[in-house]
Amino acid sequence: MTATRTAAPAPRTETVVLGGLRPAELQALSARHGWSLSAGELCAIQSHFRGLKREPSLAELETLAQTWSEHCKHKTFTSPIRFSDGRKTRLIKSLIEETIFKATKQLKKPWCLSVFKDNAGFVSFGSKWSLAFKVETHNHPCAIEPYGGAETGVGGVIRDVMGAGLGAKPVLNTDVFCFAAPDYAGPLPEGALHPRRILNSVVSGVRDYGNRMGIPTAAGGLWFDDAYRLNPLVFCGTVGLAPAWAVRKEVKPGDLIVAAGGRTGRDGLHGATFSSAALEGAQLSAVQIGHAINEKKMLDALLVARDKRLYRGLTDCGAGGFSSAIGELAADCGARVRLEAALLKASDLAPWEIWLSESQERMVFAVPPKNLKAFKEVFAAESCETAVLGEFTSSGRLQVAHAGTPVVDLDMRFLHHGLPRAERTAVWSPAKSAPAKSPAHKKSLAQILTECLGHLNVCSREWVIRQYDHEVQGGTVIKPLQGIRHDGPGDACVIWPHAATGDAADFQGFAVSHGINPNHGKLDPYRMALACVDEALRNLLCVGADVSRAALLDNFCWGSPEDPVQLGALVRAAEGCRDAALGFGTPFISGKDSLYNQTKDVGGKDLAIPGTLLISALAPVPDVRKALTMDIKGPGNALYLAGLTAEELGGSLFHEVCGRCASCTVPSADPAAALSLFKLLQAALGKGLVLSAHDLSEGGLGVAAAEMCFTGEFGACLDLDELPRRAPIYSDEILLFSESPSRLLLEVAPDREAAFLKTMRGAPVKRVGTTMANPVLKVTGLDGRVALEAQLCDLKCAWQGALPRRLGA
Amino acid sequence: MSDKTAVLAKETPETAAVKTAAAGPGSYLVEVCLKSDFTDAEGQSAQWLLNSAGLSARAVRVGRLYEMRGALNLGHVHVAVRELLCDCVTQEFRVWHASCAAPGNGCLWRVEVWLKPTVTDTVGESVRDALRDLGIPDIAVRCGLAYHIAGRCSRQQLDRAVARSLANPIVHRVSLHEAS
Amino acid sequence: MKKPKVLVLRAAGTNCDLETAAAFDAVGGASERVHIDRVRTGKTKLMDFDILILPGGFSYSDDVGAGRILANQIRLYFKELRNFVRLGRPVLGICNGFQALVKAGVLPASHGGEQTAGFTANDSGRFEARWVHLRLNTQSSCLFFKGLPEMIELPVAHGEGKLVLKSPRQLEDLKKNKSIAMQYVSDDGKLAGYPANPNGSIFNIAALTNPEGNCLGMMPHPERYTTRFQHPNWTRQTFVKEGVGLEMFRNAVEYCRG
Repeated sequence: MTATRTAAPAPRTETVVLGGLRPAELQALSARHGWSLSAGELCAIQSHFRGLKREPSLAELETLAQTWSEHCKHKTFTSPIRFSDGRKTRLIKSLIEETIFKATKQLKKPWCLSVFKDNAGFVSFGSKWSLAFKVETHNHPCAIEPYGGAETGVGGVIRDVMGAGLGAKPVLNTDVFCFAAPDYAGPLPEGALHPRRILNSVVSGVRDYGNRMGIPTAAGGLWFDDAYRLNPLVFCGTVGLAPAWAVRKEVKPGDLIVAAGGRTGRDGLHGATFSSAALEGAQLSAVQIGHAINEKKMLDALLVARDKRLYRGLTDCGAGGFSSAIGELAADCGARVRLEAALLKASDLAPWEIWLSESQERMVFAVPPKNLKAFKEVFAAESCETAVLGEFTSSGRLQVAHAGTPVVDLDMRFLHHGLPRAERTAVWSPAKSAPAKSPAHKKSLAQILTECLGHLNVCSREWVIRQYDHEVQGGTVIKPLQGIRHDGPGDACVIWPHAATGDAADFQGFAVSHGINPNHGKLDPYRMALACVDEALRNLLCVGADVSRAALLDNFCWGSPEDPVQLGALVRAAEGCRDAALGFGTPFISGKDSLYNQTKDVGGKDLAIPGTLLISALAPVPDVRKALTMDIKGPGNALYLAGLTAEELGGSLFHEVCGRCASCTVPSADPAAALSLFKLLQAALGKGLVLSAHDLSEGGLGVAAAEMCFTGEFGACLDLDELPRRAPIYSDEILLFSESPSRLLLEVAPDREAAFLKTMRGAPVKRVGTTMANPVLKVTGLDGRVALEAQLCDLKCAWQGALPRRLGA
Repeated sequence: MSDKTAVLAKETPETAAVKTAAAGPGSYLVEVCLKSDFTDAEGQSAQWLLNSAGLSARAVRVGRLYEMRGALNLGHVHVAVRELLCDCVTQEFRVWHASCAAPGNGCLWRVEVWLKPTVTDTVGESVRDALRDLGIPDIAVRCGLAYHIAGRCSRQQLDRAVARSLANPIVHRVSLHEAS
Repeated sequence: MKKPKVLVLRAAGTNCDLETAAAFDAVGGASERVHIDRVRTGKTKLMDFDILILPGGFSYSDDVGAGRILANQIRLYFKELRNFVRLGRPVLGICNGFQALVKAGVLPASHGGEQTAGFTANDSGRFEARWVHLRLNTQSSCLFFKGLPEMIELPVAHGEGKLVLKSPRQLEDLKKNKSIAMQYVSDDGKLAGYPANPNGSIFNIAALTNPEGNCLGMMPHPERYTTRFQHPNWTRQTFVKEGVGLEMFRNAVEYCRG
């Protein structure tokens, strides 16, 4: 379609005069309407409409503002960046194309069925099924109304998966939160909610929505750092199961546009632009309370309609409401919409409000006219309302009217490809490396270990996990809480979706895990990315998943990309993701970013969050009956450490507990070496040679060994002199608490040791200890003397008591 | 409405003849509470939240508030309470109406928390649909919570603690009443 | 052999129906998941079925009280239910289904059919999911328990599971009628407080049956323990063959086969 029109009448509804306005005036106009459009972007709109010889309607501008928002278009990741690392400056044309997408394209895995183009990525799962996976953030709403924000966040990502391909049935929810300490005692600006309140309310929101949807919430994490006090991060993820034939949607001209689910009200206007803007002065109508029952009804109906193949395409109404949903579905054809047909909560909505409302629990379907009757019957049987809003066309235009009055008439090409790309600058200066010095402290190893276990970033999350129904659908084979008393920290969950597949003879399942460590990122975002991928894969490995089939999701949460330093760190993290994906052979299948997570603190200075990367990993477990838990299974078994230990304490928990030493080496993963180790380990696990496996992350060997012991209620002796090392290390502390990546602690029965060692031949694996009935953890130091001896009950108390105590529960 | 409310009936459903006059045509406010012989776990949670926000409440009990507006009469309210809103084993209820003096409940404070009219009240929608099943015509229902708080504090302290724990001024409308 | 027909009743918000139906199919039942609106409009008839199951979930969002709206619908549209129970056909309410049966006055069976028990929020004030130890009442004639050991483990997941009674005297009646089908106990089989009793139920009651033993309501979820791989400690146990929940469903199916 061309941009010049002759016959069509200009929309007669409320117009906005752009003609003749200067960039500064355009900017002011944008701010007044809460559009989050830059002057450059408004200039492009201005010149587009100058070409049409008319002014845009308010609804058209709102549509463009939503579609072009950071939330929907990921401008930072797709626009050019001039990146300087102090020595060289280079131009990155599109960060996402050159990092995340590039790795996936290069890896070209045949089991990646749909990547980066739909609401969620799809990978194959056996011959008949596929899995959709998506992780979203809902940060800004959770900062101001954490309960409603968390509910609608969970509801939104579930709908993403319900609307992926031709619809997937959600079989797992995951939730990762980054908050300030719940007992934070420092000052907060007026109106900011206390971190304890945010934690409580977010957990309640996730619980109430996820439990009502009947989806097990069985994976996730918590990360505490006081820099999140004004900008909490709430990552909600969903895995869905769909038949292999249902991964692709299409829309044909003539198909009806049918809205289903909740009614449209005035709620949630400006959600998309809101989530792209820094918090202050944001529009508050974006805050909503979810209603899971409406979404559950829609899910029940949707799956029936899908299997009867009554529709050709669908998508959820997220940010931007109908405007985004219909705009996206019709991107390659066109659409004619009659807003008066929409079912409303209140009768006094203006047409543009109906078009842009973000009322929850709504979806849009493309239904061939011959199927309409059957489609409506299926939804009516679940008491779910539907309304025909119009039809898809071949006009290449988005034409919206209300009772005959044109409201929007936009060229699809301009809407989806007209966004001008502004260039940003980014700088990165690598931290100067200096020889590591052990910080001065007088704590014993036992004391340090106890403090590490009671640290907020390590301690038990049982208080949270118990509130989630993590076993609904009956397929949570490896649970988040493990061990003899069902309270130890699992590495990853394993789901056996037999209720959803209806085939209890098929023992294929899948595992999901996460990797996150913003402390590493403060020093070296590139290495943080490598370590996050490594951690996520290690976790999968521990439960017996096939890591050669792992698929990754990236979620970047950052401060302002207008700040070259923060943007520089973001570039480095994205490059780390690319190199990790290529090195491990694990493609990214979907991702999301949330920027501008910074807010004015007391005193008026901007407080940005630490650059945060969440890696989520999904891999099949070929036979769930061979899955593993991390608890020690018996006395007299050998403990093997796999992977090399180096002096890597930069950003470590040890330094957090014993005092910081800023210039230490940040743990650096070597994907190639790790991959060959993981392959051998996977073979050993597959042969049933390993009784339990646990990954070494925050707190290193000390924390991992303690967790395995108190979860299984068996003690262990470890000898630090036996640790496989990359270079000589002369300190018990470093050996016990270093956070070198790609390491796992394994329990092997004595009669399997020979076979285990044969399988692991050539790999850095060494026997470092023995399990015992006596419930103590005993560590022999380099000097041959007992360096640490602690009762398991004391260690467990420290680990279990921390979160409830700091919550005041 | 809630500034000047009064208890008109405090009865369990079996004995209930709802002795009330309508506040205006078709506008009723019902409060449902756990009977006092049962532990109010929700109240204890609320107490914990309030106290962690700096109050020192001795006891908190929670009531559910249902405001019904529309073409309904006292008979409808009676049916709604008995059949739906109040559990005959565990709960008791009161029906309030406007333009009376403040209630005395033996508690020092009574705090009502309602969603603002601009926020969709999803529980209210469920109640409306369930009432339709019971043959009550389409009415508007809003739901809220009433906290009966025993503890020494000033209005300001309470206001502050509530805003920090039980309510969020962004989405909620709060009213405080000192019990006589 | 003829497969007993199992009606797995659904309503908006029911969410354990799939796995419950699958468990029945696995032991030789022919299950059908039916929305309550089909019963209400007469498209499906309760009396055509041999077994009735009310699975777990959050029927109608549990907004007014767990299972309350579903209980109303049962009273209004399931007038045949009492007849179904009287004929001795197996009825099982799980979690939300149990709550609805109690609020509809079906359990514990009383002469007038009015509600005599109820549920309040867990003593912890929170929704909780955890595995519990249960002691079955070996004296009860509950048909679901045939051949089961006295002590079993099952998961619970609820926020409003504290069973309370209208009057203290009622407890004696329940004991006398052998209506207390399951109690929460500690791992050594003793009545104990939280967390062994996850919600604070009176006399640690986890399940109730009618005196005839064909109508059972329980808070724990038997459909979540049908294979040994669903137990939290299956990686440490080698002696378990299948989940105890499956045996409960099998008992119902076998009972119908006579």
